[in-house]
Parts: sequence; C-alpha cells; structure tokens
Amino acid sequence: MSETVMVSSKIHEEIRELTQSVDRMAEAFRTLQSPIEESRKQVPEATMQLERINKQTEEATHRVLDMVEQITNDAGNMIQDLKALRKALPATYFKNRSKVRDVFEHMEKVASSSQENAFAIMDTLQFQDITAQQMDHTAHLLDEVETKLHSIKGLFGEEISDEQEEMVISKKRAFDPNARYQDSSESQLQVDKLIESARNGLQK
Amino acid sequence: MVDLKILAVDDSPTMRRIIINTLKRAGFTDITEATDGKDALAKMKVDNFNFVITDWNMPEMNGLEFVSNVRKSSEYKKLPILMVTTRSVKDDIIEAMKAGVNNYIVKPFTPDTLKEKISQTIESIS
Repeated sequence: MSETVMVSSKIHEEIRELTQSVDRMAEAFRTLQSPIEESRKQVPEATMQLERINKQTEEATHRVLDMVEQITNDAGNMIQDLKALRKALPATYFKNRSKVRDVFEHMEKVASSSQENAFAIMDTLQFQDITAQQMDHTAHLLDEVETKLHSIKGLFGEEISDEQEEMVISKKRAFDPNARYQDSSESQLQVDKLIESARNGLQK
Repeated sequence: MVDLKILAVDDSPTMRRIIINTLKRAGFTDITEATDGKDALAKMKVDNFNFVITDWNMPEMNGLEFVSNVRKSSEYKKLPILMVTTRSVKDDIIEAMKAGVNNYIVKPFTPDTLKEKISQTIESIS
C-alpha cells in the first residue's frame, strides 16, 4: 500500500470518529434540551406560586387586621364606658358592694388587656411585609434563572419571543435581600449609634 | 407634636395600615398615605406635610430617590423625614443620611420606638 493511500485511510478513519463524536454530542444536547425546556416552563410556575402565596398572605393579614381593629375599638369603647360609669356613680357606691366592685375592676382589667393584646397582634403582623420581601427576593432569583435558561435555549438555536423576554425583564420587585423577621432592638441600638456618628461626621 | 400633618409612604398596604394605626394610637390624626416615592411627590404637590415617614424598598421610586428628590426643593430642606426599613447595614444608613433622612427605624419596630423617633426627629430639627 502506498504512503498516500495509508494517509488517506487514516484521515477517513479520523473523520469517521469525529463524525461519530459530533453525533454523540448532538444527541447529548438533544437529551439536555428536554429537561431545560421543562425547567424553563416550571420556573415561571414557581414564581407565580410565590406571588400567589404573597397575595394570599397579604389578604389574610388584612382580614386579621380588620378583626384586630374591631377588637381594639370595642375594647376602647368599653374602657370609656366603664370610666363614664365610674364617674357617674356616687363615690360611695362600691363601699358596701365589694362583689360588684370586684366584677367592675375585673371588666376594666380585661378590656384593657384585650386592647393591649390586640395591639401586640397588630405589631406582630409586620411579619407579612418582611416575608413578602423574602419571597420577592426568591422570585427575583427565579427570574434570573429563567433569563439564563432563555439564553441556553438561544444557544440551541431556539428563538425566544420578545414577549417572553419582556415578561422576565418587566417584573419590578422591590425588596431587601437581607430582610429578616427578628427582634430589632439590638439593630436599632446600633443604628442609633451610627446615626449619631454619621450626624457628627456630616456636620464636620 | 400631635398636630403634625404626616405623610406615610410604603408600598406594603399592611405596613401602611400598621403605621397609621400606630400613629393614631399615639394621638396623631392627620395622616395621608402614599404607595411609593412617585405617589408621595405627587401628594406633596397638592398638600403641605410637616413630617414624612418613608420605607426604602419600593417600586417605581424607592425611598432613597424620593428623599433625594424632596431635598432638592428649598421648600423641603428642613422637612423632618424618618425612614422605616428592614435595612440595617452600616453603608445603607450612611447613604440614607447623605440623601437627607433625619432619623431611621429598623423593621419590625415597636410603637414606642416610632413615637420616640418622631419626637427625637422634631427635636433635632428645631
């Protein structure tokens, strides 16, 4: 066999191997495309689910707030009525009526503590704003994954419609990525110190 | 102090409701709400407020941009502005102060803190 024929045969062999290798890669890409497409469909679903949770939590929080406002108003009215009644009664009224006095004082105490407890529930409902920010942060991360999946699909030669692209870009989310529901008294102290020193610094 | 005309700016309806309730509990009655910086600036054009409470993270115009905008006007150079936010990182606080925020509250806040900061802010300006 001449040297030219041997080289030609080797080239043929290498081209065949290269073709097989490209075929295997193409197959691997085809296999990958399906889960990527699946994820691309699921990510917006997950984002929408988070948005639904946010909306429902907010609606439920407002229902609780309605009831809390009702309780604080009722308790406040009761406190005022008891005060007015105490004022209207003769100063000696409870002197020989210890049982009535006990019940009266108990009612004053219950009305007052109910109002305080209701206010405490209201203060606790700030959790909704904080968890909403946490969920917005997660939704934002999902938006980023969605954008990246769009780019990968683009690499496979698939066209992404402007509408799909715009849907990801147009979502405006406002959140603090570090928002936490926790006792803020320590952070508040540190903030107060910082403000004090910043004020001094800005004045200099 | 109770005579203040307050503008409460927050994109969260829950927070606006809690802030307004807390303010009313403290005796303040003249309170207007705004959903973000843009809405707040629009309300400031038609009404005169002498105290502003604002969130930081809001869509359209955030709290920092809103405060910077307010401070551009000579009319509002001395308007007391209190920021109520979850952000408590040193750089954020310095940025807020530089933008023109007078005082700063970390969420979740207590009613006592809100009352205390309102009085402190007014005292520091007068």
